[in-house]
Amino acid sequence: MIIPLSIAVLVTGGVYLLLQRGMVRIIFGLALISHAANLMLLLAGVSAWRGEPLPDRVDPALATDPLPHAFVLTAIVIAFAVTVLMLALAVIGHNDDTKRMPATGEERAT
Amino acid sequence: MNPALLPLLLAVPLLAAGLLVIVRSRGVQRVVVLAVPAGTLVMAVLLLLEHRSVPVLAHQVGAFAPGVAIPFVSDTLAALMLAVTSLATLVAAWFLCVTGEDRYRFLPALLLMLHGGVNGAFLTGDLFNLFVMVEVMLLPSYALIAVTGTWRRLGIGRTFVVVNLVTSALLLTGVGLVYAVAGTVNLALLSDAAADNPPLALAAAVVLLALSVKGAVVPVHGWLPQTYPATSAGVMALFSALHTKVALYAIYRIYATVFDGHAPWAVVLVVLVVLTLGVGAWSTFGEHIIRRALAWQMIAGVGHILVGLTLFTAASLAAGLFYMLHHIVTMGALLLLAGAIEQVYGSGRYERLSGLIHRDRAVAILTALGLLSLIGIPISSGFFGKVALISAAAATGTWQGWLLLSTVLVVSVLSLVAMQRLWAGVFWGPEMETYRPDSPATGRAALAPLPQDVLIPARLWLPGATLVTVQLGMFFGAGTLMPLVARAAQGLVDTGPYVEAVLR
Repeated sequence: MIIPLSIAVLVTGGVYLLLQRGMVRIIFGLALISHAANLMLLLAGVSAWRGEPLPDRVDPALATDPLPHAFVLTAIVIAFAVTVLMLALAVIGHNDDTKRMPATGEERAT
Repeated sequence: MNPALLPLLLAVPLLAAGLLVIVRSRGVQRVVVLAVPAGTLVMAVLLLLEHRSVPVLAHQVGAFAPGVAIPFVSDTLAALMLAVTSLATLVAAWFLCVTGEDRYRFLPALLLMLHGGVNGAFLTGDLFNLFVMVEVMLLPSYALIAVTGTWRRLGIGRTFVVVNLVTSALLLTGVGLVYAVAGTVNLALLSDAAADNPPLALAAAVVLLALSVKGAVVPVHGWLPQTYPATSAGVMALFSALHTKVALYAIYRIYATVFDGHAPWAVVLVVLVVLTLGVGAWSTFGEHIIRRALAWQMIAGVGHILVGLTLFTAASLAAGLFYMLHHIVTMGALLLLAGAIEQVYGSGRYERLSGLIHRDRAVAILTALGLLSLIGIPISSGFFGKVALISAAAATGTWQGWLLLSTVLVVSVLSLVAMQRLWAGVFWGPEMETYRPDSPATGRAALAPLPQDVLIPARLWLPGATLVTVQLGMFFGAGTLMPLVARAAQGLVDTGPYVEAVLR
């Protein structure tokens, strides 16, 4: 029960932050949503606590399903890389989404 | 061919991308960035020849037991998609070299990463791996939008990143749900599993929803016409050939594999496809810039492609797949020609351009051929695409078939009128008198009188001309292409050989 509730809270916070104007808040919102997705993946394989998925220590019948762990690990790495990239985007063009964009000599779009 | 070679289609572009980060010589970069997609093209043609005798090739990565390992699977459909996308990547890379955009430090490396991710997405037989490949494909795209870096593109790039990230989270959630319900994410094990398992049908619908955002299906299409036209023409040609088409390929593959025939919610699909066709064609009227108008035509194209899936007969799937191949080539050609016009005259607006038919006869003829293909008037590949779609829709004899048939016809007329406006605005009218020449300092200099000797040079329109020629080849060679596409569609209708090859 506690994991679905956590997912709900994370998604709520994530959507709220996503609807804000500043880039950094949007990034935090996306981080929350990707955490929620990760928890969902964990829930797909582990509904209750079971043993570590190490075949020489724990009886495979009692061990937890290792595949969702691998999924989550991959997803976390990807989310981390994207977050770093987006933080870089936020730094490069800081404030250009809340103030006017700097003059570059380009003609305006549309 | 040994199936163990399949992962090389992913590994070689990624390794080459790594190499290009280290090697800074522009000559080496150009050779590698053109050679790798050309290599994929050769490999795809070899695979197509191989699939005449062996319908499905599968390789279990890491030699784990089948069903546990991540499979790389190639069938006629995957090989066809590999061939067409690698051709489009090759030509777009050529165009980027001609316009000099390859001088941006990481552009060749990013392009190859994108290429590798696309190849992986076509070949993978595992839902989670598909998510990873889509991310491998999107990460360089985030940078590609920003790297040709003006301020406006940076802001636009954010829209693209945020939309795609939220969608990726949704895709991941969907994959998690599929795993929770079915206990596997291997497509071969999921084959026809949703027919008697409503929770799995729902989980698969979440995956398909995420993919349809990435494929720009109305009403979740808004990001595409906003972001694509803001990038450069070469990058837009690359994206239009790869991103939405990978998503559409995955929709075809997953829908056909997981559901046995129609999904329980197939009516929703009919409504969405009709909306996509209508909104795409109608919105083209609102645009006065070549590439923005083409972006809306891409949305209409997505609708056409999905008509084949919605009807789900062997003939309609083949028609939809043929339309997808045609759309990649034709849209690429038109975007590259529009890019050549913008590069020389400094604008893609209908009002700023006029009378180009007097100055650049070759570009005018090529664009005309491309536009005819987009609408579906012979001599063009689009003609056979639409004929196949309409005859497949008429053959079903259901209300869905008739609704989609009439929508396709109405949309074709709308697109014809909208594209006539483009044609009249850009190519007809009085001779142009002013233009905005290239300026190294600000990108575009102020309006200047247009001298008679400023024309679109052949090196700029040759990439577009190549794709127009391929498109004409698809018209004259339809006799050989149609059976191939029909075989690909047969692989979707009857997933038996696919499952057998993967789980053997």
